[in-house]
Amino acid sequence: MADELKKPGDLRIGVFVCECGLNIAGTIDCAAVSKYAETLDDVAAVVQNKYTCADPGQNEIKKAIKKYNLNRVVVASCTPKIHEPTFRECVADAGLNPYLFEMVNIREQCSWVHQNEKLLATEKAKDLVRSGVARARFLEPQTEAEVSVTKAALVIGGGVAGIQAALDLADGGHQVYLVEKEPTIGGIMAALDKTYPTMDCSI
Amino acid sequence: MAVTETRFKCLNCGHEYDGIYDSQVVQERTCPKCRSNSVRRLPKAKPDKAKK
Amino acid sequence: MMTYSEVEAVTGYVGNFNVTVRKKARYVDPNECTSCAECAEVCPVAVPDEYQQGFSSRKAIYLPFPQAVPSAYVLNMDDCLGNNPIACGKCADVCDKNCIDYDDQDKLVNIEVGVIITATGMDVYDPTEYDEYGYTRHENVITSMEFERLICAGGPTEGHFIRPSDRKTPQTIGFIQCVGSRSRDGRGNPYCSNICCMNTVKDTLLLCDHYPGIEAKVFYMDIRAFGKGFEDLYMRSKEEGVKYIRGIPGDVTEDPETRNLLLTVENTTTGKLENHELEVLVLAQGVIPRRDNDRIRKLLTLSTTSDGFIMESHPKLKPVDAPTKGIYIAGCAESPKDVKDSVTQASAAAARASILLNAGKTKIEAITSQIDADKCNFCGICAQVCPYNAIVSSDRKTKRLPVIIQAACAGCGACAAECPQDAITMRHFRDEQILAQIEAILAVEPHKHLLTFACNWCSYAGGDDAGTARLQYPTASRLIRTMCSGRVDQKFVLHAFKLGAPIVLVSGCHFSDCHYISAVHWTQKRMDKLWNKLDKLGVRPDRLRLEWISAADGQKFAKVMRELDDVIKNVTMDEIEYTMNVLAEEEAKAKEKKTKTRVEVQA
Repeated sequence: MADELKKPGDLRIGVFVCECGLNIAGTIDCAAVSKYAETLDDVAAVVQNKYTCADPGQNEIKKAIKKYNLNRVVVASCTPKIHEPTFRECVADAGLNPYLFEMVNIREQCSWVHQNEKLLATEKAKDLVRSGVARARFLEPQTEAEVSVTKAALVIGGGVAGIQAALDLADGGHQVYLVEKEPTIGGIMAALDKTYPTMDCSI
Repeated sequence: MAVTETRFKCLNCGHEYDGIYDSQVVQERTCPKCRSNSVRRLPKAKPDKAKK
Repeated sequence: MMTYSEVEAVTGYVGNFNVTVRKKARYVDPNECTSCAECAEVCPVAVPDEYQQGFSSRKAIYLPFPQAVPSAYVLNMDDCLGNNPIACGKCADVCDKNCIDYDDQDKLVNIEVGVIITATGMDVYDPTEYDEYGYTRHENVITSMEFERLICAGGPTEGHFIRPSDRKTPQTIGFIQCVGSRSRDGRGNPYCSNICCMNTVKDTLLLCDHYPGIEAKVFYMDIRAFGKGFEDLYMRSKEEGVKYIRGIPGDVTEDPETRNLLLTVENTTTGKLENHELEVLVLAQGVIPRRDNDRIRKLLTLSTTSDGFIMESHPKLKPVDAPTKGIYIAGCAESPKDVKDSVTQASAAAARASILLNAGKTKIEAITSQIDADKCNFCGICAQVCPYNAIVSSDRKTKRLPVIIQAACAGCGACAAECPQDAITMRHFRDEQILAQIEAILAVEPHKHLLTFACNWCSYAGGDDAGTARLQYPTASRLIRTMCSGRVDQKFVLHAFKLGAPIVLVSGCHFSDCHYISAVHWTQKRMDKLWNKLDKLGVRPDRLRLEWISAADGQKFAKVMRELDDVIKNVTMDEIEYTMNVLAEEEAKAKEKKTKTRVEVQA
């Protein structure tokens, strides 16, 4: 099925395997993973780094994009929750659309949770890289569109919260519509006598 | 007709129990025995089967 | 400012909302009215005054309360003798400024705004349900809101606190806490209403101040005085001689002669049963969500938590943002809170809203869905699925395609997963991309792998949490990340089984944490369908698993991984082979059917 779906065109994928000091390399045989990545279709370059997220590591990515004319980048390192934005920016710096980048998590979901199973963890890392490369083949450039914002706000409810929000926005120079269902603003607070903790009048 | 009594089965530990199912308001299901969320709503026995 | 007005309809998306507001007929021109009160003097109708909790009366034309804003009278047509001036018309006669118009009509006003702040507030709990307190039977049992009016200088008694039965100032008064709050017996609400403890402390201090020597007793479960200056106030109340008794009364009866109230309570500090006689009893009623919350929820495509308050985007990190972009929440609409917290949240919401207003533009998600015009058959399911109302439904008759409003789409992918025609493409999480991952994972020794779909926000993060905590589990798992579990198409799961997966796990956020309002509901519905389908095909349904794992629950993630590793070992090669064959057959059949219909259509 993958074959019939495969995108035509010249795919040049770069795979960057991160050791994360010993965080990854302490469990996973990063050299073996790199070697394996080289055997995958469409992979044009494989680079192994001690810390891919650090400046030298990022420079390696930028250099490789230029040198090997890469059009997809796969980084096998930590969770995308931490460094996906970092690497997206990095590939964008090198002139690649940031959505042509894919991250493979071989730290939080591999090396750190399989510390006593070095061989199997390395096999898992290979599978994950294979999966990431497979996905990378189908990545497309995306753009984040912009929409304009009408410079006016609606506040629904004229109780103490609504009044405060409306006043703050108005004081900030914005046009505010305050909509209150009852004939008067004030809400529930207007029906209170004194309020804690200062025991002063509520109106 | 949205609310019906249904039999649920936990696919993790096999525990079966009755509960309310509302097709309008989907509820999170948790097996009362093993806390798994793999709780299947068993289809009703077919009427022709029931007749037999 | 539009008072006596309600939001009728909201369309559009972040930065570009179009709002229809109904300005209800007030029958009095608020710009002309000088609040001279002459109209009310001649009005012959007297009805209970809502503001004074019914302790006094108002006319059909009235000022809600002296400090009302706008300071203008309003005519309640339900109370008025009729908008036929022949019937009465007295108020219009005396109004010098001619600002009363019986023919006033509701007006619909359209406004364009970039952001919306929801500050719709709360309602108070009606203690009628707690029959043992006798709120409806005993005149001298009152609620805390009624107390406020009775003690207020602007109230019906001008601040002279009296009890309803004989209008005398009581010498003994009791307060029962948690009425309708922290309840586990099905009455009222299970949550703490936050404000009632301190409100009662305040009430006792007011009483001690106005009537030195008054005997006040508070019956409570716990006194929660956690805020700044709160404990001081509580201590002051105790020093003033207010008695705090730990125990909630079982029942309240009335002495028919004195109209005093007799309470029986188990003092849980001493463990003894006590009897108390009080002249007035105040029920500290809890806070409940607005009874018409559902209306606003539907208008703004918000969701509510199980207790009925409006749900925020994230309970800790985005407490004033609604899940729908450009909408913010402030005050008791979000949860019960006091004045200070309401004001704090309101300022926060205003600040958050200002970010968008000041920027004048906003970036929208790149990960959104798109309709494939060639494949769509106008069924309309996508519009029903979308938790954000971001899809304008198709029309089968006119063959109008559905329209996805890109700025409103949050990118959950539920529409793409539910579309029966595969006519929706989810950018960056396309079918091809996910299928390619499944194939790559199952290309080598598929029978050993635990193919897992994990949503970006919770279960994937839960997996990360397990990693950070170095919780060890077997190596079988192979994760595929989607933005939401709602993206996991039936065909992804079936494809995985067809390629020889022993177990497939779908994991997502707990319902209350779903980052896409209710997209996770579709995951549950789809799983039910899949389990039935597998069963029909003779495949053990328990090979398809579902788990809700939160971002902080690495423990559960690791536990599930360990448990499923054992399950994998119980799936035999014969079983896997049977599944692969039966699914391959099934696919072939479906293909045949498709070409057949296509031929028929062409013919």
